[in-house]
Amino acid sequence: MNVVVTPTMVGQVVISGILAGALYAMVALGLALIFGVMRVINIAHGPLLMLGAYTTYFLYAGLGLNPYLSVPVSMAVLFVIGAVLQRTLVFRVVDAPELSSLLLTFGISIALVNLAQLAFTSDLRAVEYLTGSWGLGPFAFSKTRVLAFVFAAGVTTLAFLLLQRTRLGRAIRATSQSREVAMVCGVNVGRIHTITFGLASALAAAGGALIAVVVAVQPEMGQVWTFKSFLVIVLGGAGNYPGALLGGVLLGLVEQIASLFLTSQLSEVVAYVLLVVVLLVRPTGLLGGRQT
Amino acid sequence: MTLKALGALIAATGVLVASLPAGAQGPIRIGASLSLTGTYAKLGNYMHEGYKLCAKELNARGGLLGRKVEFVVYDDQSMPATGVRLYEKLITEDKVEAVMGPYSSPITEAVVNVTEKYKKVAVSPLAATTSIFKRPPDKKRYYIFMIISPAEVYLEGLIDMAAKRGLKTVAILNEDTLFAKAAANGAAEIARKKGLQVVFQEGYPKGNQDFSAILTKIRAANPDVVAGSTYFDDAVAITRQMKELNLNPKMYGLTVGGDLPEFYTLLKQNAEYIYGATQWEKALPYPGNKEFNEAYTKEFGREPVYHSAAGYAGCQVYVEAVKRAGTLDADKVRDVLLKLEMKTAFGDYRVDQDGFQIAHKMVMTQWQDGKKVIVWPDELATGKPRYPMPAWNQR
Repeated sequence: MNVVVTPTMVGQVVISGILAGALYAMVALGLALIFGVMRVINIAHGPLLMLGAYTTYFLYAGLGLNPYLSVPVSMAVLFVIGAVLQRTLVFRVVDAPELSSLLLTFGISIALVNLAQLAFTSDLRAVEYLTGSWGLGPFAFSKTRVLAFVFAAGVTTLAFLLLQRTRLGRAIRATSQSREVAMVCGVNVGRIHTITFGLASALAAAGGALIAVVVAVQPEMGQVWTFKSFLVIVLGGAGNYPGALLGGVLLGLVEQIASLFLTSQLSEVVAYVLLVVVLLVRPTGLLGGRQT
Repeated sequence: MTLKALGALIAATGVLVASLPAGAQGPIRIGASLSLTGTYAKLGNYMHEGYKLCAKELNARGGLLGRKVEFVVYDDQSMPATGVRLYEKLITEDKVEAVMGPYSSPITEAVVNVTEKYKKVAVSPLAATTSIFKRPPDKKRYYIFMIISPAEVYLEGLIDMAAKRGLKTVAILNEDTLFAKAAANGAAEIARKKGLQVVFQEGYPKGNQDFSAILTKIRAANPDVVAGSTYFDDAVAITRQMKELNLNPKMYGLTVGGDLPEFYTLLKQNAEYIYGATQWEKALPYPGNKEFNEAYTKEFGREPVYHSAAGYAGCQVYVEAVKRAGTLDADKVRDVLLKLEMKTAFGDYRVDQDGFQIAHKMVMTQWQDGKKVIVWPDELATGKPRYPMPAWNQR
């Protein structure tokens, strides 16, 4: 009863895997930034992505704004929300044991999801903007996924340029390497934390905006992205930013290929088994994490 | 925790709705957990409205056994484990006198262990999985009653139409949970009986959003018919991704989801030609159906779906049984329910000795120009099916 796998099918799922992987990478980069700079594991990352998705949905449904034009708007809105969260709540746990930050962000996560349910209801929404695909030979390139890939790659490149080339980026990396030394060199560490949290939330929001077009929007859409992002940064090396890229694409490919050769249920098993193997063989992740 | 706060809020709303007591004894409180949030939220809320309308109409006509009726409803967040906890709470802490079933087979399967333990009759309007009712003798359940047709026959209409057109192959995909799996296996069974070949059958985990790989495999199998045993979120995602992968069967049908108005609202013209299986349609000539539609639309500002009608009818069946028994006593109500034959706005009710539904009929709809047309069975059809489904890129 099962289908014989052909090279065309493998090609098709590799395409799907890479397209999905770019999104994973961008969203996970946000989580990696927060972890790298503050040593905070942000469970609320997925729910922040959900808020970004709703921003795009409402701009589309209410004002008729093109969902791709709304990506920067969602990012800006979530930058502010992220910065406010950092300023009011998260800064309290930056130096606390990691369990405190887990508990706090877990609480924020539950609060955001339940608030969204109250405010937006649990109804499934979708931005039915572009559907269908472009064909190239035997392969189908989903329009929304290709655009999501382009945007994710673009946003991720910009984020890297910001980190590598600008004064702010250097300050963020310096803080991530050693907060004390950065402080001694005149970096306003509190400000860097706020900006980092805002930036990470903006990356999640970009993911949410793109997912709103690819899949659909509902209050609980975010949690699975927290887990995926977590998986990605552990695979790539926690706190290692290029590692998040590698981890993202790897996860996308593993999920798709495992679904093809095995079943969709087993693809999650394969992804987490891979995580365990990486942790056993290279506990610091594929590209090596930063030491605490 | 916010969960508790939310539960309290919903309970409080329930109490407010039915505030004035009738008679010295106070109202009969009927407890239920429903999926008001989570994966099944859309459907759970429709079902909730069915319960609410039933109680409202009942109270307007003088209530039950001379007392008002009020529902005490908590949100199980579409999770069986939460449902179990909530029924324990309803029966032991809130001390409700009666219960009704939750939404969905997986949650019903879990919570009826609680209702059986406390000997509560649980009319379960939206549990369609045969194995919940048909049990080995040593694990028999005594107090649960089925309202809708079983999962196994959901896709019978789709397969029957395909067989009559002489189609040969079918691919089936399903959410890997109790009901969806039973519906998929039932469809495969019917397909084989009718001489179709099942060229592909696979499950996917609940909450899955990316169907690229599974649909790529189905495309390679090149079936005449694609049958999805879905709920709602997945039905939408699968349809969108079928278009993305340009997967073009001659017929494409879904169990739940495909028939909801929101399916068309979300997918617009991409929902055209898609078949949906349904337990009930507003156009069906059942007694009281027209009145139910009018009252429901007036009360909630939206049209009912089959989940609303099943909730409404399930509540009516239970109420009728209590009336005939003249008591809430579980054993006496059970005796009545086992013998009862009733026609509601939802269709026929009659069960066998296991409480398993044997009278109710399914229908199959198809989206045509934004409207749902009943295309199967012939004797209830309001239109002809549009066949075949055109390729996605040629619409």
